[in-house]
Amino acid sequence: MPSLYVHVPFCRRKCNYCAFFSIPYTKAEVSSYLRGIKREIGLRLQEAEGGISSLILGGGTPTVLSREELECLLDSLELFAFQAGAEKTVEANPGTLDSGKLDLLLSYGFNRISLGIQSFDNDLLKKIGRIHSAQDVYHSIKLIRQAGFENINLDLMFGLPGQTISAWQETLQRAVDQEPEHLSLYALTIEEGTPLARLAAEGEEGIVPDDDLQADMYELATDYLQKQGYLHYEISNFARPSFECRHNLSYWRSEEYMGLGPGAVSCLNGVRYKNWENIFKYSNITQKGSKPVDPLETEILTPKQLISEYIMLGLRTAEGIDPELFARKFGRQIQDIYGQLLLKYINKKIIYLEKGRIKLNPSYYFVANSIIRDFILE
Amino acid sequence: MAKASSKIRNFSIIAHIDHGKSTLADRLIEYTGTLSTRELKEQVLDSMDLERERGITIKLQAVRLLYQAKDGETYELNLIDTPGHVDFSYEVSRSLAACEGALLVVDAVQGIEAQTLANVYLALENDLEIIPVINKIDLPSADPERIKREIEEVIGLDASNAILASAKLGQGVEEILEAIVQRIPPPKGDDEKPLKALIFDSKFDSYKGAIPYIRVFDGKVSKGTNIKMMSSGKVFEVTEVGIFTPAMNIVEALHAGEVGYIAASIKNVSDTRVGDTITDADCPASEALPGYRKAVSMVFCGLYPVETSDYDKLRDALEKLQLNDASLMYEKETSAALGFGFRCGFLGLLHMEIVQERLEREFGLNIITTAPSVVYKVNTVNNEQLLIDNPALMPEEGQIASIEEPVVKATIFVPSEFVGAIMELNREKRGTFLTMDYITTSRVSLTYELPLSEIIYDYFDQLKSRTKGYASLDYELIGYKEAKLVKLDILINGEVVDALSFIVHKDRAYARGRKLVEKLRGLIPRQMFEVPIQAAIGSRVIARESIRALRKDVLAKCYGGDITRKRKLLEKQKEGKKRLKQVGSVEIPQEAFMAVLKMDD
Repeated sequence: MPSLYVHVPFCRRKCNYCAFFSIPYTKAEVSSYLRGIKREIGLRLQEAEGGISSLILGGGTPTVLSREELECLLDSLELFAFQAGAEKTVEANPGTLDSGKLDLLLSYGFNRISLGIQSFDNDLLKKIGRIHSAQDVYHSIKLIRQAGFENINLDLMFGLPGQTISAWQETLQRAVDQEPEHLSLYALTIEEGTPLARLAAEGEEGIVPDDDLQADMYELATDYLQKQGYLHYEISNFARPSFECRHNLSYWRSEEYMGLGPGAVSCLNGVRYKNWENIFKYSNITQKGSKPVDPLETEILTPKQLISEYIMLGLRTAEGIDPELFARKFGRQIQDIYGQLLLKYINKKIIYLEKGRIKLNPSYYFVANSIIRDFILE
Repeated sequence: MAKASSKIRNFSIIAHIDHGKSTLADRLIEYTGTLSTRELKEQVLDSMDLERERGITIKLQAVRLLYQAKDGETYELNLIDTPGHVDFSYEVSRSLAACEGALLVVDAVQGIEAQTLANVYLALENDLEIIPVINKIDLPSADPERIKREIEEVIGLDASNAILASAKLGQGVEEILEAIVQRIPPPKGDDEKPLKALIFDSKFDSYKGAIPYIRVFDGKVSKGTNIKMMSSGKVFEVTEVGIFTPAMNIVEALHAGEVGYIAASIKNVSDTRVGDTITDADCPASEALPGYRKAVSMVFCGLYPVETSDYDKLRDALEKLQLNDASLMYEKETSAALGFGFRCGFLGLLHMEIVQERLEREFGLNIITTAPSVVYKVNTVNNEQLLIDNPALMPEEGQIASIEEPVVKATIFVPSEFVGAIMELNREKRGTFLTMDYITTSRVSLTYELPLSEIIYDYFDQLKSRTKGYASLDYELIGYKEAKLVKLDILINGEVVDALSFIVHKDRAYARGRKLVEKLRGLIPRQMFEVPIQAAIGSRVIARESIRALRKDVLAKCYGGDITRKRKLLEKQKEGKKRLKQVGSVEIPQEAFMAVLKMDD
């Protein structure tokens, strides 16, 4: 049973670090988007005949939609057969929420809100182009709790331009004070084509984060959050016990997923494909009765690629990789493929076995690529 | 029917790089209709891609041109190309020996260069008739009168009848062809005498075997002749003789005075050594043509596959390259750091770079080249003399009584304003001043005695950069001299990396060691642990740096929409990692092994 991701590519404004597909909110484009989504669902409903395990309504900023627009979108999604008790997450930005939208979401079965707050430092927030302030965050969280949501995630970023380790520590503390069930901590990465990348290319100092400082910040955060009772269950993710994000876990377990909306990616039956990253193309193609897939972004995954990804994703998580599951999935023993490599890393205590599962030692999470790279098959 | 030898002219072209040799050759080929313009790819004679890119000739070529002269007769003109680099001066001398004349092509702006002069002397030694050609007269700054004076003053050659040409525009081509016919003497030689043919090049053909390119001096050779290589005494039966048009074309026989090739099912190019004399085994000549010697390797380095499993591929590739290049030497070598590889000997640094590039390009190999070394004579305390071409094999300090290094006599041509810069450079390079002569009022010829090791270490680049590219250089080996030399070892993570050891003058050891460890710190990527880098003489550490441990190498986000991109990123990085060599527990990029060579002081 696949999970479902719905991309809402609208924002009030784009943040300076963001490389995701999003465009400024306009009534006209939203309405063409909403009609497109409806048509895409009609075209692809049978791909999810067995039901949907979980949902993320992401973006962009889904909550930038008006109440009516949001309701229209949620209505369309009702055609899917969600598993009983399915995790349904909506991504939101402080400053775009009101109790009306929150009640609406609740009434459609949403049970988790992921709030992009990034920092509690107003200067930093401005620098990276966020539309909200720390005060907006407190206000939003209060609204969310009042509405009755019992599962909140806060997104934070570290290594922001000019951010010091003590400023980071303060942001962390303030975040924890809000008692979120889940925290995602992302090391700032300068992505191509973003305003930050341009600034860095122009030679502005302090834009490209310092590796050592980021590593210190990461260490600080993992220590602190674990002391506060959060489980470090994936490289960038922390949760109170039993609040791990089921939807994201399904990615890291290489389970199937379906993506709706422009720019959304699906991976079903070993084929990964991406919808056109263009509202009009998306809308027009669906109007002609075709799936809005960009043929150049379609990939039939080879067994080697599937295995490589399985390891790449599995080693990101604290639960690691189950060799039995691996054997069932690929018809080969993991040690027949990676025996020597595993042995090398086990001897160095970089990888270890726990209850029969293969796990990356969390001390190496922040250099995970150096290890995972070796597991990529050619 | 063979042409009467009075209708044959054998000639080559002497020119400095960039002075237009290849373009002129193209024009001659075009004018005589040897190839139609359509067939004439640009610069036919430089047939390797590499040669075209670098604008130099590495392998010799030959071509027969048929020219109807103004006297109404048709002449057979054999153009024998010469390689354009000091590394190949022996090959040049042999191809000149195959000719009766040469075109001396001089750039109408730049004038005579050191390399040209060296080759002119080779031509004069071989009694060649020299026709000066002043090329590029179409350039606005061309000054043919000045160049004529230069030719007269520097070489002592009458330049009054020098031909003014522009190979680019096709100007002067007919005049050149006429001059070849009228001024270059026809080959002397006697068809009736026992066969004597000079090998001036050879190439390998997978069907016909090693094919010597020859100039017949006496006698004749045809299919069925039993030929004998006079240096080795080996005998082969000729299966085919032919000429170059410039493709190989079979003919009945090659007669005295003619230029062409022989196929005789010869398995190795090492049996067709440049400079050797071919004779008729059944009716041998009493003595060989003069001037034969075996190619001597001047520069050595280790070649290792980045991936140890490519060892066999590398061996096969070297074998194949050697088929066409008898001057390439190699033997098995083992390095503690790099595993199994080969110690290779080259005629010079350019030769080394070419081989390295061909291995990578033509054979798709990923190789590590260790720093080039010369051959040192090491006198031990036990009164033995060892020849050391690999720094790793240098005996311990206590065993060494003295070390001698090869020295060259270098001739440098340079505009007089740069004399100071040249003197400065040569002082830094441990040179001894020999002479200084004014070629003209504004150009100077300097000679220095220099250690060969200094020439292969960054000398040419420095020479060019300090003289804005105006200096030209030629050198020849003149012998060995004792010097205070030491072996410098590099330790990475506490282990000596033998492939990074090098031999250096004692007074430079500290600075070089310091510089190299700094450079290596920049070249070696951060590893999962801290890596110390040290330079040491014997057990004495003279410089130390350390590479801090890698702390961040992670993808912050990895969700459904990111997976393909992230996998591809890792795939690409993994591909890049193949260019790293695992030495002990440290991964070292290829460039690190060349860092020893490319340090600018």
